[in-house]
Amino acid sequence: MRSRDASTPRTPSRRSKRFRETSLAYVMLAPSLVIFAIFVFYPFIKNFTFPFYQTSTAGGFGAFANESKPKWVGWEQWGAVLGSRDFWHSVWVTVQFVGLTVPLGIALGLLLAVIAHQKLAGITFYRTIFSSTVASSAAVASTIFFSLVGTQTGLWKLQINGHGILDDKTWALPAIAVVSIWQSLGLSFIVMSSGLQAIPDDLLEAARVDGAGASRRFLRVTLPLLSPTVFFAFVVGSISAFKTFAEIDLLNPIGKETGGTSLLAYQVKRLAFDSDSRTGQAAVFAVGLFAIVLMLTLIQMRLERRVHYAR
Amino acid sequence: MSSVTFENVTKRFGEIAAVDALNLEVHDHEFLVLLGPSGCGKSTALRMIAGLDEPSEGDIRIGARVVNDVDPKDRDIAMVFQSYALYPHMTVRKNIEFPLDARKQPAAERAELVSGAAESLGLTDYLDRKPAQLSGGQRQRVALARAIVRRPSVFLMDEPLSNLDAKLRVQTRVELVELQRDLATTLIYVTHDQIEAMTMGDRIAIMRDGRLQQVGPPQDVYDNPANRFVAEFIGTPPMNTFAATAEAGRLLVGESVLQLAGHLRASVPDGPIIAGVRPEHFELADGAHATADSLSATAVLVESLGHERHIHCRLDSSDVVIARAAASEVCPAVGAPLRLIVDPQRIHAFNGDTGASYALA
Repeated sequence: MRSRDASTPRTPSRRSKRFRETSLAYVMLAPSLVIFAIFVFYPFIKNFTFPFYQTSTAGGFGAFANESKPKWVGWEQWGAVLGSRDFWHSVWVTVQFVGLTVPLGIALGLLLAVIAHQKLAGITFYRTIFSSTVASSAAVASTIFFSLVGTQTGLWKLQINGHGILDDKTWALPAIAVVSIWQSLGLSFIVMSSGLQAIPDDLLEAARVDGAGASRRFLRVTLPLLSPTVFFAFVVGSISAFKTFAEIDLLNPIGKETGGTSLLAYQVKRLAFDSDSRTGQAAVFAVGLFAIVLMLTLIQMRLERRVHYAR
Repeated sequence: MSSVTFENVTKRFGEIAAVDALNLEVHDHEFLVLLGPSGCGKSTALRMIAGLDEPSEGDIRIGARVVNDVDPKDRDIAMVFQSYALYPHMTVRKNIEFPLDARKQPAAERAELVSGAAESLGLTDYLDRKPAQLSGGQRQRVALARAIVRRPSVFLMDEPLSNLDAKLRVQTRVELVELQRDLATTLIYVTHDQIEAMTMGDRIAIMRDGRLQQVGPPQDVYDNPANRFVAEFIGTPPMNTFAATAEAGRLLVGESVLQLAGHLRASVPDGPIIAGVRPEHFELADGAHATADSLSATAVLVESLGHERHIHCRLDSSDVVIARAAASEVCPAVGAPLRLIVDPQRIHAFNGDTGASYALA
C-alpha cells in the first residue's frame, strides 16, 4: 500500500488531530467503562474461577472472605454440582416458571394491545392503566401480592390444601408466576402495542375489502406481521424470566426448603449468601444460568432473520 | 348493474367536512376519474364506496342497493391502494389468492383463477416470490391481479400509479384503460394528476374542499370549465386568467380591447371580471401590427421544450400570461413588444367573486 501512502500523506497536524479525537472519545467513555469494569466485567470473569475452589461453613471467599482460605478442588466441584439432583431440579423448576410466565405474559399483553388498538372513546385511559405495571418493580409487585394472599396477614388469606397458597409445594410456583406475569404485563403490552402500530392500516383495510373477517384478518395478516415482535418479546421475556429472583426471595417462605420454587438465580443467592456461603457451588449455578441465557440469545440471533419481513 | 351513486353524501371528521353534499352517479361499466388536489375529499369519497369510511349523511348505492351499512366484503368491490398494500409475508401467489381464500372458494378453482390473473398481468414467473423481491411496477401488477382475480363489479383505485417512474406510468396508464375495457366493469379512479384524468377517464369529476366542481368527459371539461378553479387545474400549462373589465360586449384589458363572442355577450355583466384564455389559443404577432382582438404585451421569458415554446408575456395590465407556440414559429426576443391575438370564441369569462363561468350562466 505504498502508493496510497504516497498519494495521501498523513501530515503531522492531521495525525495529532486524530489522536486528540480518539483520546477525547476514551475520556468521555472512561466513567462508564470504569463502572462496567468494576461491577460487570471483573465479577463476570472472576465468577468463572470460583467453581475451582471450595469454601466451608467457616470460610468465605473473595469479597466475603474471612480468615480461612478457600481450598483448590479443580474440576471436582463442577462435576459435583452439574451432576447433582439439586442443580437439574432447579433447571427444571426454572424452565417450568419460564414456560408459565412467558407465553401467558405475551398472550395477555397481546390481548390488551389488541383491545387498546381499537378506536374507542376513552381508550387512552385504558392504555395508561394497561401499561402502568411498568412503573412497579418486582419487589412492589410481590409486596402487593403478599398483602392480598399472604397466609397470616393477607386480605384474602388464599388457602389451598389447608394452608396458604405460597406454602403449597404445587401451587407456590404458579402463584409466584402470576405476580411475575402481572408485573411484566405493562412492558408486554407496550411492546405488543408498538408492534401493532407498525402494521400499516392499509394492509388490514385491503384484507377487509378482500373479504376477510375479523378473525381471518387477525390470524392471516396481523399475527404473521406481528411475529417479529412476538419473537422479540419471547426471547427478552425468557431471558428475564430465567433470571427471576426478587419474587422468589420475597414470597417463598417454604419453597426454599421444599425446592418447589428454587429457581436458578434464587439458588445462586441462597448458596452464596445464606448460612454456609457455598460460593463455589453458587458460581457453577451462575455459569449454568449464563449458558442457558447465552444459548437463547444465539438461537434468537439465528432465527431473527426468518421472522422479519422486508416491506 | 354496477353503477355507483352518491346521494347528498357528507363525511365529517370532527368539524371538517371532507366530503360535502356530494351528488354523483358513476354509470355501469364507466371509467370515472375523481380528480383534485390533496385534501379535496376524493380519497374519502372512494373509501366510502369501499366501506372503509361511513358517510355522516346521505346514501351510497352500488347498483340499486344502499350500501351505507354493508360490510366491505359484501359490496362486491375490489380496491387497489396507493401503497399497493401487498401482504409482505405472503408470496405473489398467496397475495392474489387471498380474496378467493377469504371467500372459501374451492382450491382447484382458486388455482385456475390465480394463474389466469397472473398470466393476464405477466406475473406467471413471479408467483413464488415475496413482494419485497419485486420491482415497483411488478408490485403494482400484483395489486391489480389481486383486485381482478375475483371479478368484482366495481374497481376502486387510489392513486395506483403515483409510486411508479414517469415512463412506467405512461405505459401502465394505457394498460389500465385496456384492462378496464376487457373486464367491462365500473372503475373509479382517484388521482391528483390531471394528465392521468384526461387520458384515462370516460368522465372526470373534479373536487375541491370536499365539493364537486364539475363532472363531464375530459375534453368537455377542458373546453368548458365550470369555474376558474377547474380552468386553472386542468391543462399544462393551465389556463391563463387575468383581470379585465366588461363593457358593452367588450373586454378592456389595460389599453387593449377584446370582443366577446355572442354566447358571452348576453351573460357577462358590465364591470370587473376574470378573463381566461388557454396558452394554445394565443396567436403571437409582431408588436408593431396593431389589430383588433389582441392584447399588447412584452415577452419576459421564453421556455423551450423542444417541440414547442412557452412564452411568458406581461400584459400592460401587469398580469403575466403564457402563450404556447410551435418550435417552428419565430421566437420572440425577451423584452420585445408583442401582440397576443385571441379568437373571441376562445375567451372564457369568470365571476371575479365566485369564480363561476359566465358561459354556464
